Amino acid sequence: MSSIDIAIVVKARADLAERLGVSENEIAEGHIDQTDFPDASLGAPVADEMSAQMITPGWRIRLRAGDNTYEYRATARQLRLVNFKGRNYRI
Amino acid sequence: MSRNLWLNLSIALVLILIAAFAGRLHKWNWHRAAQQTSHTSRSNEATATDPGSEESDSSKTEILVRFRAGVSAQAIENITSRFNDEVEDHIEAVDGLDVIEDEDNRSADEVAAQYRALAEVEYAETNSEIKLDHEGAGKHLHANDELFFKQWGLFNHGQDGGKSGADISAMQAWAVTKGSDQVVVAVLDSGVDYTHPDLAGNIWTRPEIIKQYEDSDLTSEGPIDDMHGFNVVEDNGDPMDDNGHGTHCAGIIGAEGGNEVGIAGVNWTVKIMPLKFMDSDGAGTTKDAIEAINYVINRKRAGVNVRVISASWGSTTKSRALEDVIRKAGDEGILIVAAAGNDHSDNDAKPHYPASYDLNNVISVAAVNRNDELTTFSNFGATSVDVAAPGEQIISTWLQHGFEEKQGTSMATPFVAGVAALVLSTNPGISIDELRLRLLNSVDAVPSLNGKVATGGRINAAKAVAGG
Repeated sequence: MSSIDIAIVVKARADLAERLGVSENEIAEGHIDQTDFPDASLGAPVADEMSAQMITPGWRIRLRAGDNTYEYRATARQLRLVNFKGRNYRI
Repeated sequence: MSRNLWLNLSIALVLILIAAFAGRLHKWNWHRAAQQTSHTSRSNEATATDPGSEESDSSKTEILVRFRAGVSAQAIENITSRFNDEVEDHIEAVDGLDVIEDEDNRSADEVAAQYRALAEVEYAETNSEIKLDHEGAGKHLHANDELFFKQWGLFNHGQDGGKSGADISAMQAWAVTKGSDQVVVAVLDSGVDYTHPDLAGNIWTRPEIIKQYEDSDLTSEGPIDDMHGFNVVEDNGDPMDDNGHGTHCAGIIGAEGGNEVGIAGVNWTVKIMPLKFMDSDGAGTTKDAIEAINYVINRKRAGVNVRVISASWGSTTKSRALEDVIRKAGDEGILIVAAAGNDHSDNDAKPHYPASYDLNNVISVAAVNRNDELTTFSNFGATSVDVAAPGEQIISTWLQHGFEEKQGTSMATPFVAGVAALVLSTNPGISIDELRLRLLNSVDAVPSLNGKVATGGRINAAKAVAGG
């Protein structure tokens, strides 16, 4: 699997900043790990979503804002926010 | 007088010995011939590893003929004698199924056609596609498709560190049936690349006598030209895959066999009905899944012989509407084969739908690897997961007319759906209850699955087509 496209991380930071209502400068990058997710929803299905049950390689992106850590999951084709205030989101 | 008596006795003794030896020789030759028709049994280890062992007489034409119930052995003998053929082997597992050898150098197609024309014959098919390979790892009975030996789920002879025999016994099943273009399997997924060279010949096309699909609630533009299936994402008749997942599953069920291209599916011949309800990310909604199943039911009622839906998707969210439409599909004689999920969790405690619906037309499928072990990712369930199938390092058709290796219970599911289609090819009238029972009774018991799936085993196509 190729390395992560920086544009995906940029997109995740912008998304989180918007959700939190803060500047992107206040979002810090944490670890980015390559991993296999259990399905096409990257193990983070949104409400009422069915997903292909195929192991899907991708990246786990951790971002920090203040004292909190947020997890995004990505492939080259999609980006998801995991368990943000109890819900998953397709970005 | 006495001298003549001794002379006569001596001559008689010599004749008896000659006759006895000839008899033994004939019997030995018969056994040898029977061994050479080992399309009915796995290529044995000696054959696989010993390039110097005996070879089949490939110059003789063999066909598989199933005579109708009630046709006597004498009647079969009379028929074959009339055609100057010989019954080379009886396939004991299937009543009336014989291997017939032609003795006068006619083509397999010609011989098969001659038998098909008889009222006593249920079917006759050529055996030419299964042949011996003298290259590579040795000799095996197999399809001639380029990547056949990569597909360990069909034939595992220990390649790439696998366990010999940890497969679905496809080649033994193919001695009975390689599928039928009268059986339609709906691949409810991200669509299917119906132009893929290893799939195109096995893609369902709506017969002209069946009207285009109409659902005024979905589109106000009149009937949908569902030439090859249905796209619920865009509400049109083009189920082209833009993810790859559906194309992969379709190949496992029914990539064309014996065409020297790519892989062989569990069915060499079948009709795949592509349905697209998941988008390019491999995700879809419950509602669209329901719409797609509704379409399948509609087509079944319109006369399409669609008996199986392969569902390599799911969620932990239970939907009663989805359950209802699946139950309705069962009422229409349609089996749903569904993926157990990939969280390595216990579905008895945390169900995964649609696999976990407790319906008599649903089969839930876990995944095993090439060593007959439950994969590290597969869900399980001693009561809620029915059976396992190959689901790791599975090569199949992909986008851009390619082939890729993937893993998941997504891949295990179409193996079982494919075996269901094989059974239907020789038992078109079988009920869903009978079909489900036959599949679940047709497993190889696997220690690693004991207490993990209800049957404790991995699907076996040969047992399934033989009657469980």
